[in-house]
Amino acid sequence: MARDEPVPWQGEEGPYGPLGLPLVDLLDRVLGAGVVISGDLVIAIAEVPLIRLSLHALLASVSDRVPAPWADGGRL
Amino acid sequence: MTATATTARPARNATAVYVFAVCRGLAAPALAGLPGHRDGGALRLLAAGSLAAVAQEVPAREHDEEALRRRLAEPAELEGYARAHHEVVAAVAAATTAVPLPLATLYLSEERARQAVAGNAARFHRVLDRLTGRAEWGLKLYALPREPAAAAGAAPVPEAGAPQDPPASGRAYLERLRGRQRDREARREAAWLAAERVDAAVGELAVAARRLRCHGQEAGGPERQVLNATYLVDAGRARELAALVARLRRDPALAAHVRLELTGPWAPYSFADEGEAADGEG
Repeated sequence: MARDEPVPWQGEEGPYGPLGLPLVDLLDRVLGAGVVISGDLVIAIAEVPLIRLSLHALLASVSDRVPAPWADGGRL
Repeated sequence: MTATATTARPARNATAVYVFAVCRGLAAPALAGLPGHRDGGALRLLAAGSLAAVAQEVPAREHDEEALRRRLAEPAELEGYARAHHEVVAAVAAATTAVPLPLATLYLSEERARQAVAGNAARFHRVLDRLTGRAEWGLKLYALPREPAAAAGAAPVPEAGAPQDPPASGRAYLERLRGRQRDREARREAAWLAAERVDAAVGELAVAARRLRCHGQEAGGPERQVLNATYLVDAGRARELAALVARLRRDPALAAHVRLELTGPWAPYSFADEGEAADGEG
């Protein structure tokens, strides 16, 4: 049944409820956040081998219910 | 001891400074009760000129490249790390206008973090101005499998080896296969057109829009994602957005082909730059 309301994790307790939102949507954003400054220790984490390599583990284990991010592109 | 900490591993008890978000100094929110990363200290506001960085001291050996390569390769760790980051960013963004920083933005010291923020103050202010009074909303569209009515009306193509209802001829059989292929292509085309239509309609209501990469199809799942877009929307238009999405869901021409999923409001992760990426990935 189509819901007319936004996703349920938007509760009365606050608009940005941290629990319950899909990990895949979260990773889309925390990894893809626009970059205004870069850090000292880990640089450009979203673009590079670090996360791409790390995602192997995630991609190998995502459940049937949660589609893997970036599975359709990128050189993983 | 040199300053090239990216090549050498940090000393055993060295600390690093993890920065979650940057906001205006005068509008900095209270951070009590927010845990941040499990292995870090209390969250702190680092004053950097007119700005403030929401930061946490963390053990450098657990957050350098080598450690993160190991930690983030484990799904449970990656999820915990991402959610810890998001919890802080979301709380800050709910309280004030903030520029979310990407996961694992780390500095060697508080001083380095302050310098990085203060040195880019003009850019941060431009981004803060752009984000003020706005939030990010995600919209995902999934192509529906063949609707039951069409499936029931169409002549079924027997599974290989199915004995019942044998085709009259090989030619008829091939014709049916081609018909099914055409049907699939037509449905895919319709879903893409629906995605364009929805994106255009929602985009008109938004200040900026970005296309994120579509998620891969679930193994064996019936639905294919055809749009993974995200929009920066004025807070005052959130209701309008919900109403628009509700209207689009009821539109028979769309409802036959796609399912819409709206998420948000999000902290404006996807718009935490100066807008150069506003047109998406092309």
